[in-house]
Amino acid sequence: MRYVRLLWLFFKNSLLVEMEYRVNFALNTLLSVLWLGVRLAAVLAFFVHRPTIGGWTLPEALIVLGLFNVFSGIIDAVLRPNMDQIVEHIRKGTMDFILTKPVNSQFLASLRVFVVWNLADVVLGLGVIVYALGRLDFRPSSAQVAVFAALLVAGVVIVYAFWMLLVTLAFWFVRVSNITELFSTFFTAGRFPVTVYPDWVRWLLTFIVPVALLTTFPAASLLGRLTATYALLSLGMAAGLLVASAAFWNYAVRHYASASS
Amino acid sequence: MYHIEVRHLKKYYEVHHKAPGFWGSLRSLVRRETRTVRAVDDISFTVAPGEIVGFLGPNGAGKTTTLKVLSGLLYPTAGEVRVLGFTPHERQPAFLRQITLVMGQKQQLLWDLPAIETLLINKAIYEIPDDEFRRTLDELTELLELGTLLTKQVRKLSLGERMKCELAAALLHRPKVLFLDEPTIGLDVTMQAKVRQFIAEYNARYGATVLLTSHYMADVAALAKRVIIIDHGHLVYDGDLETLVQQVAPYKVITVTLRQSVSPSVLKPFGHVLAANGVKVSIQVPRGTTSRVAARLLQEFAVDDLTIEEPPLEEIIQHVFTGGIREASPDVA
Ligand SMILES: Nc1ncnc2c1ncn2[C@@H]1O[C@H](COP(=O)(O)OP(=O)(O)O)[C@@H](O)[C@H]1O
Ligand SMILES: [Mg+2]
Repeated sequence: MRYVRLLWLFFKNSLLVEMEYRVNFALNTLLSVLWLGVRLAAVLAFFVHRPTIGGWTLPEALIVLGLFNVFSGIIDAVLRPNMDQIVEHIRKGTMDFILTKPVNSQFLASLRVFVVWNLADVVLGLGVIVYALGRLDFRPSSAQVAVFAALLVAGVVIVYAFWMLLVTLAFWFVRVSNITELFSTFFTAGRFPVTVYPDWVRWLLTFIVPVALLTTFPAASLLGRLTATYALLSLGMAAGLLVASAAFWNYAVRHYASASS
Repeated sequence: MYHIEVRHLKKYYEVHHKAPGFWGSLRSLVRRETRTVRAVDDISFTVAPGEIVGFLGPNGAGKTTTLKVLSGLLYPTAGEVRVLGFTPHERQPAFLRQITLVMGQKQQLLWDLPAIETLLINKAIYEIPDDEFRRTLDELTELLELGTLLTKQVRKLSLGERMKCELAAALLHRPKVLFLDEPTIGLDVTMQAKVRQFIAEYNARYGATVLLTSHYMADVAALAKRVIIIDHGHLVYDGDLETLVQQVAPYKVITVTLRQSVSPSVLKPFGHVLAANGVKVSIQVPRGTTSRVAARLLQEFAVDDLTIEEPPLEEIIQHVFTGGIREASPDVA
């Protein structure tokens, strides 16, 4: 309950700060739409000469693209700004104020600021998914929707935990954006269903940099194509990564000797 | 029962030289060239509930490091530390709820927002009920003379105003133990005095234990009866400020303004003449003889004005660091 209230306060504060730059808000929304256009065009280009890619028709692939948009919105609205904040806290030594508060320090450090307007990407992504389902003339069963929702949440947890594992390295190397950029490179592979890639890439994107679990898996579940094993794999990965990121964070905090004086 | 207990505390930093950049960092992970900095090297002291203790020492003495260990931010390399009965580095919520850390050079206030927003976040963090929040806020507003500062954007506040708000944010949960690291640094003289007065009042009102470091001797002289002096990570003195002054500087300074100037040689029998600018003369005299010498001066000369002062505290501390304390203090660890 306390954590929900804090999240709400952080969200409200972020909004208050952004209100000052209302022009940015309009500009950013425009950019979001433009970016979606570019991503759409890239996917459409693949379908010019073929009816399917990797066994997915165009509307089916659009669900994957919609999910990709959702997650890139989450990365830009939540993960990236908080990474900058954490790096700043470590550099300036103000992490001290986070570590002396009687709440979970990882929570306090990693969910503190939001670039609210980047959530436009999330909304647009969900829009694309709804549109694609309309094109397919497909109404998923409530069970499929439930599994989809669970996998979506698992995806959010996975991307958060995986990202935090990388960001926690900031306690040792202050400039971690190089590392998260590497992740972003892998992440762009998630625009397409992973079945378009060779086996070893698919394996990499499932088990090492779990991008497939963010986009392809939930999309497949919505279409009723995901086996229970893979659904459970996704949930298991989410739980495992979350535990791992918390453990790594605590380990890092123990080794933290903040900037002097 | 002590609020703070420190026994044989050591905190060493391993500093490794590393080449700049990401790859440099990576390389240094594999092959470390380290050097040990003994920031705190075997110090022991205790602080009773409600006490204000001034923590003094030159730059790099290990003051901040000690405060960080006490507030649970750093693991001690060796020794035992207890604050309110807790082991700080375990950072138990029950412990963190009862302490606060204020650092003059760092701020917790959100830069782009009014300070009240940070206070509201802290209210949620410490789960302070609405009515208690209101009461504490009213009290802090009165004590710190906050007025409408809390509703102004932090980045538009002056340094001193910001420190006042910073203190409000740090004390909202009414901590029992305050760790204040240079809380007056960079403030102008009036603001320093205000912050100082606030700390004294807070201590008197809530009986909070205060451990305070400062560059400004005036802070320490005004607030703390007891001082702990460290140098190079070692404890040099722990005891009464007054006793320290008497021991290290067994003299006072008499300054007289004479009606007409006299030759310094005439004044020699009275004591060591520090300065003689025409009619204004400063003489250093042994502590015990001060009043006798003053009386004789008044008798033998036409005197317009006469003051008796302690030597400046800065000078005394300087004296301590250059080794003058060793034979003088009974409390050397
Ligand atoms: N994070 C750190 N890493 C390495 N050395 C440090 C660190 N913090 C402080 N030091 C060193 O430890 C010594 C004590 O520093 P500090 O506790 O900040 O002193 P003070 O607060 O009394 O000025 C100094 O020599 C300082 O350079
Ligand atoms: Mg310091």
